[in-house]
Amino acid sequence: MPKVISQSDIPNLLDHLKKTYDVFGPRKKGQEIIFDKVEEQDKVLLNYHTTLLPPKIYFLPPEEELFKVTNGRVQENEIQEPFIVFGISLKDLAAIAQLDQIMGKKTADAFYLNRRKLSTLVGISETEVGVPPGGDLILEKVSDREYQALALTAKGRKIASLEFFKDKEIVGKARPQESRTKLDEMILDSELIAKAVEWSRENYSPIWERLGKTCLGCGICTYVCPLCYCTSTEDKTSFDRSVCARCRKWDACTLPGFAKISGGHNFRPDQKERYFNWFYHKFVRAYKEFGQVQCVACHRCQKYCPAGINIEKVLEEIIVAFQKAQPVRKF
Amino acid sequence: MENPLHPRKVKIIKLEKMSGNFSLFRLKPVGEKLSVNKDGLFFNPGQFVLAGAWGYGEAPFGLASSPFELDFVEIGVRKVGGVTAALHRLQEGDEMTLRGPYGNGYPVGFFEGKDVVMATGGCGIPPIAALIEYIIARRERFGRVYLLYGALTPKDLLFRERYERWEKSIKVILTVDKPLPGWNGHVGLVSELVKDIEIESANTVAAMCGPGPMARALENIFRPLGIADRRIFVSEERKMSCGIGKCQHCTTGEKYVCTDGPVFYYDQVQGNWD
Repeated sequence: MPKVISQSDIPNLLDHLKKTYDVFGPRKKGQEIIFDKVEEQDKVLLNYHTTLLPPKIYFLPPEEELFKVTNGRVQENEIQEPFIVFGISLKDLAAIAQLDQIMGKKTADAFYLNRRKLSTLVGISETEVGVPPGGDLILEKVSDREYQALALTAKGRKIASLEFFKDKEIVGKARPQESRTKLDEMILDSELIAKAVEWSRENYSPIWERLGKTCLGCGICTYVCPLCYCTSTEDKTSFDRSVCARCRKWDACTLPGFAKISGGHNFRPDQKERYFNWFYHKFVRAYKEFGQVQCVACHRCQKYCPAGINIEKVLEEIIVAFQKAQPVRKF
Repeated sequence: MENPLHPRKVKIIKLEKMSGNFSLFRLKPVGEKLSVNKDGLFFNPGQFVLAGAWGYGEAPFGLASSPFELDFVEIGVRKVGGVTAALHRLQEGDEMTLRGPYGNGYPVGFFEGKDVVMATGGCGIPPIAALIEYIIARRERFGRVYLLYGALTPKDLLFRERYERWEKSIKVILTVDKPLPGWNGHVGLVSELVKDIEIESANTVAAMCGPGPMARALENIFRPLGIADRRIFVSEERKMSCGIGKCQHCTTGEKYVCTDGPVFYYDQVQGNWD
């Protein structure tokens, strides 16, 4: 029998989970919605569109000390405490599932995997879930005030077996389908996007000239992207030099120095090349490496781009041009 | 699981200044010994490491020592950035961090039974030096072996004290752009030395490593020698940072220089847009 939790019980569930775990969830901050540590459980948003930063911040933090050296003793930063990220959208869950594959590919990133091992992901959806994209537990809205628990792992089953979830037959109306954007449709065909973007560099280059001039090279699109994971590592030292840390922080391939080597040569000297590389990685290199484009159509990049670049429109333009340029097959 | 980003502790046991801004660092592991690969070597010639010092950071370096040497490794450090400038302030006895080796290295098994032409310029020589040491240690397995090496002035030719030993086993051809008094060797680009080479082109492999301009010069060296593109092995230089194919700094087209390379056959990277 399905396990169902009433909406009014969700704060109680969070209260209970908070006793054992650090719990993070979406809440409103100013005009934005952000993921933050759950302090007041009734402030956790159950129905929201997207957060400013994606939940990758809990597994690949904007900045982390990988190693800390105190008076010559090296300590590896290994977090120990299990935590829960609550209220993740289906798209963000799909992105984390891809990130798991990327970071877990040999040679795996031990820091990321450790954080993932300690984390439990609870998704939430106002619309029909269909094939669960990932996570440990998904709360799928089934009536005005109830969510059905879809437990996908042992960690998820553990939560779903708590008293807040009742066995209940689900009756009544069909759940609403998620409304789909053009980008949602486009990313279903990774192969087409990969071919079109690769083709566009030489055969539809004016678009990259144009975007190279439009892009400010600020890196925001990569920071808000749930599937961008470029990093740089540098050391920091305390003033008296007794403590130092090797720190890894988010980087962005659209920033000017990303492909610059010591001695000054820059393999991508122009913004046009750097912007193309952002697309090339997401849609071509990713497809060749993992068989899937690294985009879940969350639309954050276009929402937060200060230059107003709309990647849905860019991709659409490239794909249309690519398809037009294909020879018509005659039988 | 062992963390691949966790560096081992090494100590500088010898510092050798080879030119104004280039020094060879001999590094000996402190505590745990160097692990060996399936050939019983610490590394395959052409592989690189990420070396650094706590408080200053890490940078990628080609290994220059003999791969048969298991007590220490050598890296050439050219003072060109923040990390390398800091490393140049270190002295013998100081500690550094080291992780790796990373990447593929030159396919030395494939080189066996063939003539080998190595070409490089300036500070691109460290991985080639390791390859030379490998070839010399197993000299009977290779045909005719040439090193073509060029630098700005005779003072910029690195590994000078090794040439005499190398020349006993392979042919070393040197050239400089600007001769100094006392220089009796060639003057001009490496690519102008092709005429001194006698090889059986159908059974020759080429190895090169070097900065951008050197890579372009390859058209003028190996092509005239009649060496097939798939037998020209180029070590690519990029900003390797994580070494494990994640951070994206070293990509060229669809390839990762840190994991797919750094050694590629020429037509793998030829025409890559970046």
